[in-house]
Amino acid sequence: MNLYGYIPESVNEGPGLRAVLFISGCRHACPGCFSPGSWSFRAGEPFTEKRQQQILHEVTSHPLLEGVTLCGGDPFFSAAECASWVRQLRAARPDLTVWAYTGFVYEELITDPSRTELSRLCDVIIDGPYIAAERDVSLPFRGSRNQRIIDVGTTMADQTIVTMQLDAW
Amino acid sequence: MNMLEYASPPASDLLSDLGRRIIGAEDADTLRENANLNGDSFSGKMSRLGSETAKWHALRHVLPKELALAVEHGDLYVHDLDQYALGTTNCIFIPFDRLLASGFNTGNGSVRTPQTIMSAMALVAIIFQSQQNSQYGGVSANKIDWDLAPYVKRSFRKHYRKGQRLFGEIASIEDEQLHLVSDEAKEKCPRAFAFACEETELETEQAAESLIHNLNTMSSRAGGQIPFTSLNYGLCTSAEGRLVSRSLLEATIRGLGNGETPVFPQHIFQCKQGINQSEGEPNYDLFRLAVTCSSRRMYPNFVNVDASFNLPYYQPEDPDTIIATMGCRTRTLADRFGRNRQSGKGNLSFNTINLVKLGIRYGICQGARAIADRAGFYTALESVMHNATDGLLHRYRIQMNQPAKASDFMMREGVWEGGEQLAPNEPVADLLKHGTLSLGFIGLAECMTALYGRHHGQDLHVHREALNIIRTMREFCDRMSEQHNLNITLFATPAEGLSGKFTKIDRERYGSIAGVNDREYYTNSFHIPVYHSLPAYRKIELEAPFHSLCNAGAISYVELDGNVRANTAAFQRIVQYALAQDIGYFSINHPIDRCPSCGYEGVIGEVCPGCEAHENHVHFQRLRRVTGYLTGDYKVRFNGAKQAEVRDRVKHR
Repeated sequence: MNLYGYIPESVNEGPGLRAVLFISGCRHACPGCFSPGSWSFRAGEPFTEKRQQQILHEVTSHPLLEGVTLCGGDPFFSAAECASWVRQLRAARPDLTVWAYTGFVYEELITDPSRTELSRLCDVIIDGPYIAAERDVSLPFRGSRNQRIIDVGTTMADQTIVTMQLDAW
Repeated sequence: MNMLEYASPPASDLLSDLGRRIIGAEDADTLRENANLNGDSFSGKMSRLGSETAKWHALRHVLPKELALAVEHGDLYVHDLDQYALGTTNCIFIPFDRLLASGFNTGNGSVRTPQTIMSAMALVAIIFQSQQNSQYGGVSANKIDWDLAPYVKRSFRKHYRKGQRLFGEIASIEDEQLHLVSDEAKEKCPRAFAFACEETELETEQAAESLIHNLNTMSSRAGGQIPFTSLNYGLCTSAEGRLVSRSLLEATIRGLGNGETPVFPQHIFQCKQGINQSEGEPNYDLFRLAVTCSSRRMYPNFVNVDASFNLPYYQPEDPDTIIATMGCRTRTLADRFGRNRQSGKGNLSFNTINLVKLGIRYGICQGARAIADRAGFYTALESVMHNATDGLLHRYRIQMNQPAKASDFMMREGVWEGGEQLAPNEPVADLLKHGTLSLGFIGLAECMTALYGRHHGQDLHVHREALNIIRTMREFCDRMSEQHNLNITLFATPAEGLSGKFTKIDRERYGSIAGVNDREYYTNSFHIPVYHSLPAYRKIELEAPFHSLCNAGAISYVELDGNVRANTAAFQRIVQYALAQDIGYFSINHPIDRCPSCGYEGVIGEVCPGCEAHENHVHFQRLRRVTGYLTGDYKVRFNGAKQAEVRDRVKHR
């Protein structure tokens, strides 16, 4: 697994201050994608054990983070490896929230055994491909209107998709 | 350039040289020394001509020789040198409560105490305008919510009485019972009460909106300079005071005529635990609104009433003891003569020391020595500080000798407390002693790099030594205060006109030294350099301990990239972390770009996200902060060094 980018403090990928990991590799190839450079699984730097531990340390010792957001690429193409890192994060800092962006839709993720575990490890998943025709710059934290901000815990408990209504607060 | 060369050309040469540079607009930096002044305008040029001539006169004929030489050599900087010989003073916190309650005279006419919030807020603008011609620096309202609350009440009474007539509710009720949360007023005449509440809210909102418009449109100093106005508020918990705060914030969020960010006034939200910092506290909603406003408009800034160095002065029964700042950062709360409160006084003047030059002379950066000459550094620092202090004292004597009539409105109306008792020709004398004389500094970061090869953001040992330098300076100021029986304080200088001047002089003398003077500017005060990347919380932690040492004022910023307006949770957490670290005054910088085609406000790269207009075809306005105040489009109004600093700002994210 490669890491395409890492932002230690971001305000753009979910509420609160969040560390953001861009996992290399995506096969959705959405027309108008903001980051086509990240599609290759060889883009960026190898996400070595050493680098994983280093970022884990930075994130867990940061006093202001609300959580971590996985971006891409699409982390769900590297779901098993991501899940292993997120498990360690969860163990060290259960108070942090985990968000993930994906071009899959949620229903695809939970029915695919290779992607279920990572889905369940997330608090929130912003799902669906970027559709240029549905682009809307006024939407918080996402690019096109088809994309949903899914509250994973409630969705699993209620057995029906529950999206979050995000105001600034 | 030595002193002789500088002093020798006859005045006609100076004038023709100035004429060429200013009238012919050859020298952009001379014209843009102050981002708030339109140096390209006729009146701006006229003002620069006077100002440059006055500086030359002061240097040649007025300053003590030692001081003039130190200025020449870039050891220190005398701020607002053009005002030195005149004896003008710097800035003030205005006692709006008293001026509004007693009425005042602008010189051309007298003004009665206002009967409504609408006229009170109009008078606030007029007072700011009258006052700012008495001084050269900022004008600040230190508790505008408390100052204006009584006029909200007056408006309410007026609307209530009108409501009684309109709805025929004739029950008799005393004036004292008429206010926004009066049960008696509500029970006796419910329709009049509802009417009065609604009308009062509307009127206050409109008054706030027009105040903000007024403060952005009244160009009164020469050069179309808009007064540097600041409004502090946030602690008044009466319904009327809260309405003032809320209306000011909401009007600022709405913006000016086309929704654009107002450049003035600077807003400062006063933060106090138990009043506005947590859920359940009476003004927590206002703090949240202030955060929302700041995430859109870059202010309010946040001043920390709970800081260890502010709290001892705070007396809940006297709102004049709540810490307030000039927008830039100036703090003048304490007074060795007992006026430990804000209004009716301010800063008198300040001189700034070039720490970088000392670092170059005694550090390792020139390769002359392997270890920094620490003893040499402190000896030289002491000598520069003495020189700077002598300059402050010399200037203070000039200021004391000015007749009251020279600062006119300020003394006649007692804006400076006690001035109202002076005859026009009487010197202001030691009435000024309640103000502060401040010693400032710039470039601690480059100084440390010059001394040790690393700055205080890179190395904890260097950080400890950096703190030691600033502590030494503070102890010197305290010593001088005792010796001269004056309020001599240490200032984390806001360095606008100054940010490139020392750099230029030092580069001419020592050549370009990597990491020290190879940029166009020196880093502001004790800040971790804007080009050094580190997490926001680390910047806060590293800068926090300097705040308690700088008793004349300091500010810390963090830079955030991206659209903060959609993420006020992050914004609030960072602000409250800074307050918890004992930072006195704090703000978050983030880009506010505006597309003139579609009105989109937020972050704009090359292409507008709203309408896809391209930078090459449309001129996006890019609002940034300089020395604490906002300024319009930074590519037009910033000087060269400040533009370079903005380009170098690393986002903490």
